Amino acid sequence: MSTSESEDSTGLLRTVLPPNQVDRVFDFCGENGWKLLALGAVVGALPPLLGLEQGYYMTVVSEMYLFAILALSWDLVGGQTGYPSFGNMAFFGLGAYVTAILVKDFAVAFPVALIAAGLLALLFAALIGAVVLRLRGHYFAIATLGVLLAAQQISRNLDITGGASGKILLQVPSGTVFYYLFFGVLIAEMALIYYLSNTRFGFILNAIRDDEEKATAMGFNTTYYKTAAWMLAALFTGVAGGTYSLFNTFIDPQTAYNGAWNVELIAMALLGGSGTVAGPVIGAFGLHTLIEFVETAFVGWQLVLLGGAVIVTVIGFPEGVVGTLREYASEMAYYERGGMAAVDSGEDTEVTADE
Amino acid sequence: MAVTQFVVNGLLVGALFAAVAVGFALIWGVVDIINLAHGEMVMLGGYTSYWVLSLITGNAEGSPALFLVTVPAAIGVLYVVGYALQRTLVSRVIGTDIFLTLLVTFGISIAIQQLAIQAWSANPRSIQVSFADPSLVAAGLVIPKMKLIAFVGAILLTVALYVFLQRTRTGRAIRAVSQNPEAAALVGIDVEHTRAVTFGVSSAIAGGVGAFIATILNIQPQMGLIYTLKSFVIVVFGGVGSIPGALVGGLLLGSVEELTAGFVSSQWTLAVSFTLLIVLLVVKPNGLFGEGAEQ
Repeated sequence: MSTSESEDSTGLLRTVLPPNQVDRVFDFCGENGWKLLALGAVVGALPPLLGLEQGYYMTVVSEMYLFAILALSWDLVGGQTGYPSFGNMAFFGLGAYVTAILVKDFAVAFPVALIAAGLLALLFAALIGAVVLRLRGHYFAIATLGVLLAAQQISRNLDITGGASGKILLQVPSGTVFYYLFFGVLIAEMALIYYLSNTRFGFILNAIRDDEEKATAMGFNTTYYKTAAWMLAALFTGVAGGTYSLFNTFIDPQTAYNGAWNVELIAMALLGGSGTVAGPVIGAFGLHTLIEFVETAFVGWQLVLLGGAVIVTVIGFPEGVVGTLREYASEMAYYERGGMAAVDSGEDTEVTADE
Repeated sequence: MAVTQFVVNGLLVGALFAAVAVGFALIWGVVDIINLAHGEMVMLGGYTSYWVLSLITGNAEGSPALFLVTVPAAIGVLYVVGYALQRTLVSRVIGTDIFLTLLVTFGISIAIQQLAIQAWSANPRSIQVSFADPSLVAAGLVIPKMKLIAFVGAILLTVALYVFLQRTRTGRAIRAVSQNPEAAALVGIDVEHTRAVTFGVSSAIAGGVGAFIATILNIQPQMGLIYTLKSFVIVVFGGVGSIPGALVGGLLLGSVEELTAGFVSSQWTLAVSFTLLIVLLVVKPNGLFGEGAEQ
């Protein structure tokens, strides 16, 4: 990659959006994370209060929150801990089925069923995690995909899950309830992960991602930490799944254990910037809006777009929006320091892309 | 008696799984990529054969000889597809994070799958070969003729690959790149080209098997992922980079599936395969025949 070329192409961008400004935004966000989160919580809580209740757009926004929860949960293990799972939707499906069965067949109250769904997903994660978290790389990814597909097949063959035809749920709360439920879970998860990312727990997760053997050598029980992160992700994914089953009023093996969604949420986390709190949420909002648009404009092509988006993201900018911006911002610091900066930053970019 | 019949059925189907898995193992061993779009190559091969036969006869029916003519077409088309995929997309992520390579091939898989649905609809199709009935009966065992042809075809493809890798110049180049890309480049091997050829050969075999699968089972755009995962089970079982291991693994997986279908229910075969996958990964991640593959 020649440096002069990249300098030319970013020349206009530099005048419109100076990197030091971006850097300042990052500093600001870093210092005021909690305030920004509170502000987001207030803004997000407003629409139903202002009279927007049902309808297409509220559904789309609720789904955006849902995907943000899923992407953030995936990122806790995939981005922060370095265990990219292709089977997160197994927890989603489990949560969805537990809630649907409890509400429909056992007439359990929805909130109770939701808690049960979360806890069962947690338990399932503990069991599965004990097995699959021993694997790394290719083996971990494929094993989790196997878990997802095995779960799908099992739910297709059991009577209690309604087999291949699934379950239809008719008595469901209004759209506003789901809006707040998805939103509340999302804010809670963002707050938790943001808090954790500045604690010992969060640092150890990152250490596991960077070099698990060194982390072990430093005396951390990595199995404990990665299993804890995995269970936490499962808890949120399970609750999201439980909420989704009633939100969607219908659940079957194909929607509950949806492999394409699993790729979608990975793409969201990557696109936004994995390993950060804001990244997966930004990616989820952006990609879901895009997919929703394609879905209405060109019916049937949304998954082609998804595949394309994944390929472009991975090849084009694997650091995602947040990562790329951060790099862009820090590049300026090099320029301000001195002449050789251009070369340095060029190498720096390649090194991070290779990791 | 029933057990023998199930095992025979399993071996007949298992050879097809093995031939798919061999290509999967080849890419894994040489390019160090788990090609999640490998099953899509099987699917595309099936459709190529289907459409070529439709072009010749007007509908997807024909004599065995006519069908066998379409197999090289599937192999040729898929070689080009595989070569192009490696050259344009996959080569860009070689050497980066494992996870990124998985994601790119998964992206390719989804895109091909959905384009196939758009082009050919999601309905299952199959090739009717005119002599299919009656089946051969030997010592009380029923062997459908087409399954036997598919079995022989799959074994031939697997053996052909083995011979190609061991005996030809290109095969030696592929093995050299697999062992040490830098050293291979030093002795004058075009590494990029060799990797693309590997991808092409692997896809071509998958495509040829896809043509056989179209005659004994059926083909539909979303069939790919299952074949990819079965390949993974087989490769994990047989060990990365071992063709005999993959062959044994494939025959064994076929038998296990048919036995499950026979004694429990055909609905449970996939659940059993995937559970077997997870168990194998944990118990024997290096395979029974693998030479200590690194994780």
